[in-house]
Amino acid sequence: MLHAPLFQDLVTGLDATERHVILDLGAASTAMLALLGRSRCRVEIADLAHFGGIIQLNSTEPGPELATAAKSLLPNRLSDEAIDCVFCWDLPNYLTLDSLSALMDAIARRARPGAFAHALIFYAERDMKEYPGRFVPTPDGELIDHSTPSPAIAAPRYSPEELGKSMGGFVIDRARLLSNGMQEFLFRLES
Amino acid sequence: MFERSKKDDNTVESQDANRAETGKAFGSLRSKVTGGGDAAVIGRSIQINGDLRGNEDLRIEGDVSGTVELKNSALTIGKEGKVKADVYAKSIAVDGETKGDLYATERVSVHVNARVQGNIISPMVSIEEGAHFKGSIEMDPAAVEKVLGKTAASGADKRVTENKSGNVADTKAAPKKPAQEASTNLSPPAGNA
Repeated sequence: MLHAPLFQDLVTGLDATERHVILDLGAASTAMLALLGRSRCRVEIADLAHFGGIIQLNSTEPGPELATAAKSLLPNRLSDEAIDCVFCWDLPNYLTLDSLSALMDAIARRARPGAFAHALIFYAERDMKEYPGRFVPTPDGELIDHSTPSPAIAAPRYSPEELGKSMGGFVIDRARLLSNGMQEFLFRLES
Repeated sequence: MFERSKKDDNTVESQDANRAETGKAFGSLRSKVTGGGDAAVIGRSIQINGDLRGNEDLRIEGDVSGTVELKNSALTIGKEGKVKADVYAKSIAVDGETKGDLYATERVSVHVNARVQGNIISPMVSIEEGAHFKGSIEMDPAAVEKVLGKTAASGADKRVTENKSGNVADTKAAPKKPAQEASTNLSPPAGNA
């Protein structure tokens, strides 16, 4: 069980009387839907890891093609409502900074000013699993990683400065060092 | 089961330009689409390109492209099923693959190992761990009701059109995709979408 206070604040703090548009870059999970379903929201799920998004982004040269690739990875929109909140999980660790920048640029164009983005960044540990985690929340907003064991690879250990330049206009709002050595970030989209 | 006669509510209509090919397809359907038990079944060797409509439960194990409309019935997309269509049904269960939007007045269930790309609009949605989904899920009951209400109204309009024109394959009468209608009824974007 991983206590991620910024995540917990974010999901448990959603105003049930207001409508929210949530973008989840990870895989769909019944637990996450149940948690978000307490408020009036639309959830957009990209599942970047499964649908080849990470490989596609990292193998595309920076420039217009990368921007197009990033845009294509986001789900088709049911309406033009702006995104209020983005859950990146640990996916930024698996993207180059150019890929991350292109992806977050594409997301920022769909998001409202002041929108939040949450991410988990490998910080204290030098290694990370070969594949992204599959984080599932409990009803209280704690996190459980359901990912299968995989070989370790070197973690990029992106610094706050690097992330600050690569989040498409999302700036660091708050950060916490978690018990598992990951750094939890909450970004806010500047107006 | 699936007959082209309009006396039967269960119709499979194709928009294929090549009617000869369509005829062959229906010939194949008559022999291979069977209605054993509670649901009709489109077998794994069947390919349908066009509009599929009916009023009884259906299981798809073959390939279907176009539109699937079973508004008062349950649709199951089996493990072998591949559907590239917007789907309208009372309930939708997915074990196979779909590309397109899923509209269900009761529930949508995406089972383990299913692959779904598209939007889901239903009052009840379940996605099992291990299922693969890319798209959006409307979880605001008011928004779901509005979208499905519009969809139902669109279907009613279509039925009227069918009665007047006597042509169930009229593509102009196809159900409107309610995305734009939904967007006009939902909260306006607050930012720079």
